[in-house]
Amino acid sequence: MRIPRIASIVPIGFNPRAFTFLLLSALCVRAQLLPASSPEQAVVQILTASQTPDFDAPWRFDSVRRSTGTGFVIEGGRILTNAHVIAWAKQILVRRYQDPRLLPARVVYAGHDCDLAIVELLDPKGLEGVSPLTLGELPAVQSTVVTIGYPAGGEQISFTRGVVSRIEMQAYAHPGNRSLLAVQTDAAINPGNSGGPVLQEGKVAGVAFQGIPGLQNAGFFIPPEVVRHFLKDVADGRYDGVPLAGVTLEPLQNPAYRRQLGLADDGRGARVDALRPDGAAMRVLRRDDVVLEVGGLAVGSDGMVLYRGNRVSASVAFQQPQSGEPVRLKIWRDRAELTLDLPMEAYRGDRLAGRSYDTLPRYFVHAGLVFTPLSADYLETVGRPGRDNLWAGLAKLIYELRGRPLEEPATVRAEPIVLATILPHPVNADFSMRGGALVNRINGVRIERLEDVIRALSENQGERHVLEFDGPDQGPLEAINRAAAAAAHTEILRTYAIPSDQRL
Amino acid sequence: MNAPRNLRFYLIASCLALAASLTLAVGVHAQAPATALSVLPDTEATDWTRSLVSIEVTYKALDAFQPWNTPTRAIRKQGVVVAPGEVLTTAQYLPTHTLVRVQKGGRGRWFDARVKWWDAQSNLALLTSEAPDFWKGLQPVELSSEASRGPDFDLVRWRDGNLENRRVEFGQFTVREGVLGFAPHVMLEISTDLTGLGWSEVVAHRGRVLGLTTYSTGRTCGVVPAAFIQRVLDAQRLGKFTGLGYLDFTWQPGSNPELLTELGLAGSPRGAVVHQAGRVKDPAFAPQPRDILLEIDGSPIDIEGDYLDPDFGHLMLENLANRTHFAGDVLPIKLLRGGKEMTVNYRIPRASFAEELVPRETFDRPPAYVVTGGLVFQSLSQPFLRGWGDDWRKYAPLRLQYYQYSDTADGRKSLVVLTGVLPDVFNLGYQDERFIVLDKVNGRTIATLADLVEALGAPEPGADVHRFEFMRGQGLERILLDAPGLDAATARVIQFYGIPAATRL
Repeated sequence: MRIPRIASIVPIGFNPRAFTFLLLSALCVRAQLLPASSPEQAVVQILTASQTPDFDAPWRFDSVRRSTGTGFVIEGGRILTNAHVIAWAKQILVRRYQDPRLLPARVVYAGHDCDLAIVELLDPKGLEGVSPLTLGELPAVQSTVVTIGYPAGGEQISFTRGVVSRIEMQAYAHPGNRSLLAVQTDAAINPGNSGGPVLQEGKVAGVAFQGIPGLQNAGFFIPPEVVRHFLKDVADGRYDGVPLAGVTLEPLQNPAYRRQLGLADDGRGARVDALRPDGAAMRVLRRDDVVLEVGGLAVGSDGMVLYRGNRVSASVAFQQPQSGEPVRLKIWRDRAELTLDLPMEAYRGDRLAGRSYDTLPRYFVHAGLVFTPLSADYLETVGRPGRDNLWAGLAKLIYELRGRPLEEPATVRAEPIVLATILPHPVNADFSMRGGALVNRINGVRIERLEDVIRALSENQGERHVLEFDGPDQGPLEAINRAAAAAAHTEILRTYAIPSDQRL
Repeated sequence: MNAPRNLRFYLIASCLALAASLTLAVGVHAQAPATALSVLPDTEATDWTRSLVSIEVTYKALDAFQPWNTPTRAIRKQGVVVAPGEVLTTAQYLPTHTLVRVQKGGRGRWFDARVKWWDAQSNLALLTSEAPDFWKGLQPVELSSEASRGPDFDLVRWRDGNLENRRVEFGQFTVREGVLGFAPHVMLEISTDLTGLGWSEVVAHRGRVLGLTTYSTGRTCGVVPAAFIQRVLDAQRLGKFTGLGYLDFTWQPGSNPELLTELGLAGSPRGAVVHQAGRVKDPAFAPQPRDILLEIDGSPIDIEGDYLDPDFGHLMLENLANRTHFAGDVLPIKLLRGGKEMTVNYRIPRASFAEELVPRETFDRPPAYVVTGGLVFQSLSQPFLRGWGDDWRKYAPLRLQYYQYSDTADGRKSLVVLTGVLPDVFNLGYQDERFIVLDKVNGRTIATLADLVEALGAPEPGADVHRFEFMRGQGLERILLDAPGLDAATARVIQFYGIPAATRL
């Protein structure tokens, strides 16, 4: 599916150093909308101390960051929250409603692609006496919902009321490259609300998770469908992820195109415009197939389906199965209808193009040359070049990460490697290359992944290591004396306090 | 560059008639009015009021997203009389001029002028005026042939009707691309607190012109040196100016001794390392990857990639393409290849925007476009990308920008972009598509707008649609338009949206 163009979106975990908001609570609504069983008993504050790795010096970590979010108790004595609330956590503490204790917790499952996570207390007795919240249904547009959480602006639990504004696919800011169903509400959802329940008639109608800076009265929550998909996914003890179809559907509204495909101008069907080269859809669908139904939902010529009363992108229907399950399609091919099953899979091939969490970046250091995979996280360390001629280097890296897999899949490297930085030492001080470049070849070996760097360096018996950058063919090159590099290696690790020369 | 003293949207209706009478004469040696003028002596007592000229240029700007529009702007800059009937100035704003006028004495009457010659790569232009009254009292000044290092120079300009003469400091001689072109050549950088520079103000030393300002960033102002100007003008006057050249191979400093040794160099480190070949692939005539450049045109190359210029000191080797040569000349390059020294006779390629996949300038012709069925196509160019404003590198689509730094997979030399859709019932369903690069139309590969027009004239046999295919991975990959209805739809669209013609190639 094509990701809709939207404004920047930020998760709303509360970092007290970064946000200051006025708290707009709405306690007066409680009597009308909340059940007598006091759901706030099941709503907890989550205090996280997290530390993200430094992606261009991957053995290091940034400063410990403290943030707060919200969670709520679900069946099984566990707590559901947002994945971004607990990402890179070093310590998780839970504080119950009007309870002075800080209860240590740990992550059980994290679904970073759907921004949901399950945590549990290290001592399960900490939740004794708490009635779990139950999952409700997708709320109707214009219906009223109440958010409960611990947003910025105060210490105590906060309640806000609003209406469901609209329901559609939204880019999820936490993974950075996924769009899933989301509900927009005008209930105040502020930093710190993340992971908190959105209630309707006493049941959970969603999990608050993100807002859009500058947009007034617009917060977003994850609907019950996505939450249920996550809970079902982890039921086998492992999280696989939300499946991706690997198919780009385009609207089929142009009369000439419809006529060419033999379709009446009746508003049915969206056209298969592109297929991901390594996806299952490539084996089942063809370009210019017209998808008429997905999972029993009729697809309109605008590429939308009517999903529980809401007109949303047909991609929602592809996300209903679990990874490994098929979705049934009705398509139009060669002027005839055809029914087929498309096996769905949780795609990981674009993991480097999105933000990564909880898995420390791989790296290899030799003689002060720091090699690490090219990723979205690494690119964020590069920043915007101040000089015009540096834009070329950044543009090349972005293309390598995001453009080449789509445009030139035959030339894609499994894990493009960059020379992230050079730790200065006499053995490498004469390099004119300063880092931030794609590694093309080392000692003639094309670098497809980090292990190739290690192999190319360790197997070389020549007097020097020769490194080539950029590509695909020729680019800048450097050489380093092999024996001198080996001799300097340990000293460089010690000088720069690098605990290990590799993390694979 | 600093903000122009922009006269903003001059009333053009009356100016166009005048502009029609002006001829843009590129490389033409027009006859100057017969005016006897003597050259000033070498003296600090130069009367700049008799040589400095104000220039007013009304020029066509580019409306990147509606290329059929021709918005006009007007600016004022400076010039200096360098010969009887000749005013020297930078070429900036002149390539698309509609009206040029000149004024002497910093005030009073403006005289119509004509562009005798301009060149983008050297960023130089010569103007003249057919009005004898303009030349009365004006005197040429000398261009200095010296590479003075100051430490102080004079900066002279007309400002609010008065002659301003201020001290500026020498900075350095350097080599960089011109403001309008990409052929590197020597530049003088001066340091000053003055603002609003870069409008061809004269930098002088001992009463002689040392150069013309061309850009200004912070306290640094770039000056095209007079010695460089003189060489270009001399060649131009003799009809021997073939344009500036450039070295089309890519190199890196030879600062890493291990790399030089690996490439076969013995002895002290020297030279620069080639890492990408240019268009000429024959190794007998052009440097190749892993060659070490040892000497160019007899000048030894150091490990920084510099040579010692007899006039300007250490300069980047790129300047050797234009120091005593122009495009088309043969440049002897001594290099080390596979451990052996050899000399290749490299023919200097002409710096031409047409050679670039994404041309940096397109002002050699009016902005080209094709509107067909409401789909708007333009050639991909940097002027189009600059349509995103001063911060275009941040905001213009990254994929389009990337073409500036890469070749196409199939070797095509230019690209055509769908830059927008003018909504019409005919193109229903495509109204939001834009900024995707065209690959094929009706099965034919598209590199130019002319290819597009040709392909539209030849639908696939038996097809009643035109098939547009875009580069994969950039968004929408295919569009079909009804073939029989295309011409009528195009006519309707251009009439409805007030477009003067469906096509301008």
